[in-house]
Amino acid sequence: MKTIMDLRKDLDEKKVTSDELFNEAIDKAHKYQEEFNSFVTIMDKKEENESNSLISGIPYALKDNFSTKGILTTASSNILKDYVPVYDSTAYKKLKDAGAVLVGKTVLDELAMGGTGTTGHTGIVRNPWDKNREIGGSSAGSAASVALGIVPFSIGSDTGDSIRKPAAFGGVVGFKPTYGRISRYGLFAFASSLDHVGCFARCVRDAAIVTDILKGQDERDMTSLPDEDIKYTDVIDNDIKGKKLFYIKEITDKTLYKDAGEETLEILDKFKETVEECKKLGFIVEEVSFDEKLLKAIYPSYMTISSSEATSNNSNLTGIPFGPRGEGGSINEIMFDARTKGFSELIKRRFILGSYILQRENQERLFKNAGRLRHLIVDKMNELYKTYDAMILPASGGVAPKFDNEIDRMSDRYLILENHMAIGNFGGFPSITIPNGFVNGMPIGINITGRVFEDALTLNIANKIEEALGYKGLIKEEYDV
Amino acid sequence: MYKVTIGLEVHCEVKTNSKNFSSARNTYSEYPNENIDTTDLGLPGILPVANKEAFKKSLKMALALNCKTPDVVMFDRKNYYYPDLPKGYQITQETKPVGVNGYVMINVNGEDKKILINNIHLEEDTASLDHFGTYSLIDYNRAGVPLLETVTEPCMHSVEEALTFLETLKGIFLYTDVSEARTDRGQMRCDVNISLMEEDAKELGTKVEMKNINSFNNVKLAIEYEIKRQTEILKSGGKVLQETRRFDDEDLKTYPMRSKVDAVDYKYYIEPNIPPIKITDEWIEEIKSEIPMLQFERVEKYMKDYGLSRYDSDIIVKDKNVSDYFEETISLGVNPKSSANFITSIILGYLNKHELSITDFYLTPQMLCDLIKMVDSGKISSKQSKEVFFKCLEENKEPGVVVKELGITQVTDDKTIRDIVVKLLDERPDLIEDHRKGKNTFDYFVGQVMKETRGKANPGITANIIREEMEKR
Amino acid sequence: MVTKENLKDYAAKLMFDMDDEGYERTLKEFETVEKHMELIGKIENIKSVEPMTFPYVIYHANFREDEAKDCLTNEEVLANAKDTKANQVRVPKVVGE
Repeated sequence: MKTIMDLRKDLDEKKVTSDELFNEAIDKAHKYQEEFNSFVTIMDKKEENESNSLISGIPYALKDNFSTKGILTTASSNILKDYVPVYDSTAYKKLKDAGAVLVGKTVLDELAMGGTGTTGHTGIVRNPWDKNREIGGSSAGSAASVALGIVPFSIGSDTGDSIRKPAAFGGVVGFKPTYGRISRYGLFAFASSLDHVGCFARCVRDAAIVTDILKGQDERDMTSLPDEDIKYTDVIDNDIKGKKLFYIKEITDKTLYKDAGEETLEILDKFKETVEECKKLGFIVEEVSFDEKLLKAIYPSYMTISSSEATSNNSNLTGIPFGPRGEGGSINEIMFDARTKGFSELIKRRFILGSYILQRENQERLFKNAGRLRHLIVDKMNELYKTYDAMILPASGGVAPKFDNEIDRMSDRYLILENHMAIGNFGGFPSITIPNGFVNGMPIGINITGRVFEDALTLNIANKIEEALGYKGLIKEEYDV
Repeated sequence: MYKVTIGLEVHCEVKTNSKNFSSARNTYSEYPNENIDTTDLGLPGILPVANKEAFKKSLKMALALNCKTPDVVMFDRKNYYYPDLPKGYQITQETKPVGVNGYVMINVNGEDKKILINNIHLEEDTASLDHFGTYSLIDYNRAGVPLLETVTEPCMHSVEEALTFLETLKGIFLYTDVSEARTDRGQMRCDVNISLMEEDAKELGTKVEMKNINSFNNVKLAIEYEIKRQTEILKSGGKVLQETRRFDDEDLKTYPMRSKVDAVDYKYYIEPNIPPIKITDEWIEEIKSEIPMLQFERVEKYMKDYGLSRYDSDIIVKDKNVSDYFEETISLGVNPKSSANFITSIILGYLNKHELSITDFYLTPQMLCDLIKMVDSGKISSKQSKEVFFKCLEENKEPGVVVKELGITQVTDDKTIRDIVVKLLDERPDLIEDHRKGKNTFDYFVGQVMKETRGKANPGITANIIREEMEKR
Repeated sequence: MVTKENLKDYAAKLMFDMDDEGYERTLKEFETVEKHMELIGKIENIKSVEPMTFPYVIYHANFREDEAKDCLTNEEVLANAKDTKANQVRVPKVVGE
């Protein structure tokens, strides 16, 4: 499957036109829609913007929680099922200005609150490698659209691992840069202190190209970082000899997973193989120990913080200035009705949990303790980053789960292995998942998480590992597992 | 009689070009839903971006109220559902308000009193609701307008104290240029806490809160009504309920809204979209240097240094521009009392009558200075100065020019006056005789001199000369 | 201990309702979260740590200068409102506060 650079060459050499690329993408999008359900909206008209950027004329897909003026944006929730924004998110605007061509808005877990890709209001998203399996979420459609070869890249958002987990399950690259590197203006907020904008791509270079376009300070986002005088694509081929990586013993040691199935053990084996591969490349890779109590607390803390912020962030969904109007004779009744009908049960449960956590009498015990735990984790990471340049870990303890076999993230066995990528959100660290081969015919991924602000080095490291592993541009159609 | 204790929470809109967290216009608009940005409407995906000027003015107010200021900028979310709150939360300050533990000095009936400020914090205003028969209409223009809330300790014990505090606070808003503080536009609103207790009781009585009172007069009426209502309850042996009440400005009574049991938990937490910004000492010093001397200190100065009465001082400091005007004339060398007299007895009346602000007033301090100096030096009489004053304003001419044109310069020349006096005395030796016998004929001669000079003779000089010439005979 | 009635009350304050099974499931989730959070509460010195609100603090943020910029048009403001009148959003009469 062609990368952005391949398509750029084809466009520049006039082997193909941007219209042809768009039509081809639209055709594929429609062809796969019924089977895989990647999109909420597939565009019927091409946006005519051109620039001299690398992505000008190249099709892409956008998660349906980015505000797009004049284009339906639902966040895959009934409460926004007819919402047509009157403004553009900064990410979308930058892509438009760069001449990228929007193919469609992709399905997510309702309001981005979920990790399965099964809770969107227009139905479940299926994994291109096996229709009976999830692609993961919440950026499910964005992952699937790249994994299906509809588009060379797509945009997602990542609050816990919402880009990096589905990337692993779909055999594609998923990158979220440092918190603040890309403006969040126009991204429908889930948990503001953890939300990141990021992308899916076929290879690390493409992820760097897209991030180069998206990054930059935005006067609309106070948390956006000042511009850097650097292009990631210029540095990803730098020599990495002597760079130091670490992995966490408590997460990767096979002997700690006594009851684990073959699949998990195989994933851990593959991970260790990749570690050896890294050493051959010239990396120094070391095992470090990380307090297991802290690791086990990642998911509950993540749930606590994200649910609390989410209940507040979604208080604007009342059906009054926008959204479906509820029925009733009083103001409270219409808000009540709109919200009762508009949210699925899963969302309501999270909101109740979140508001309980924020109640005066529970804040100290729940909300603040979760914030304290977050602090301890980030401090420990920053201490490790004094010695090491990045952390490398398996992105998941299993391949994409089957629909009837949902993983329980709270079960002791998976508590750490399935949730550690939230560390990247806790500290705002740049974090990327790249394919690491196959287990049982399904793609698996490894995750590389770097020092805060060092997106360039993180991409550089990932690019070098990707080169060595050779899993690049995987799509089922072209790949015989 | 019971002892009354009052605490106030005063909301005041901050004067800025744009809103607190968006770039939408912050102006009074005749048309609904025109001054709105995505952020003010709480659309999905919006982010607040804090306004530097709004924060600066808030710090200025905090410093003017002698508050301690924080080391970093921090905002919190206050979560509740109401149709005038489009985001479903209000961005306010709970953790680190712009000011805590301050005070403001007021003077009630000649007595100084320190009003303690618990805190002052910056937040955003809500949308406005207009009510009709079966429906309400929402205008989001006001949503997001910077709003500064000043919270006092429960330390006031009478209606007079509460009102004097409000007037003083309003004055400080105007003096510091933080707000226009116009109650007629709803820019200043007030919550009142009030409790009654036995004169010798150690603990405060049960607190009743009255929300959102929109004028100082209504604050007065609401407090008076509550004192009466609570007094009656206590006298009959009853218990005052801890509750929130609403003041009805039509029948001038208060009505229960909700009791303490239904108190809302606002689930405050730190606003995650506004990262901490350091407040430097330099910034604080810069802001401090921009705070002018306030009314309370000005009154003290006018009384002590210029010998003005409290009454006149109070009148002058009521409007900072008037007070500045007054001080400028003094810096130009005018006698403070003369200047104060002219301002309080003539200028303010004129401004009032013509609905003018002193800043739009033709007569500059320099002109007033010229005018008063002409009086003080005897060039014109004080009666003439009024004539000149009005002529100046009528024709937009400087006092010197007017005096020349009217030809109303006083006769101060000794010889001219003496010649007239001698002539008059020669004509009426009988009256000189009467004068010696103790009859007052002196004023007759003064009057005659004025008549001969058509009022231009300087009265002081004239009197001296008459006295001298009479002595001679 | 939190009861189903409590949950119903919390939901009502969040302006929604759901069916009984939903509350049952919520109750179970509460137990799990509480159990895990209890462990966090037992972590040594946890109380001495400042709760983290931002992923990192470097004080790079800047205020916005106080300049008024373009506003939404009235049409844009009302574009997604389902009931409008006289250029405003109409709702059933708001009584009480």
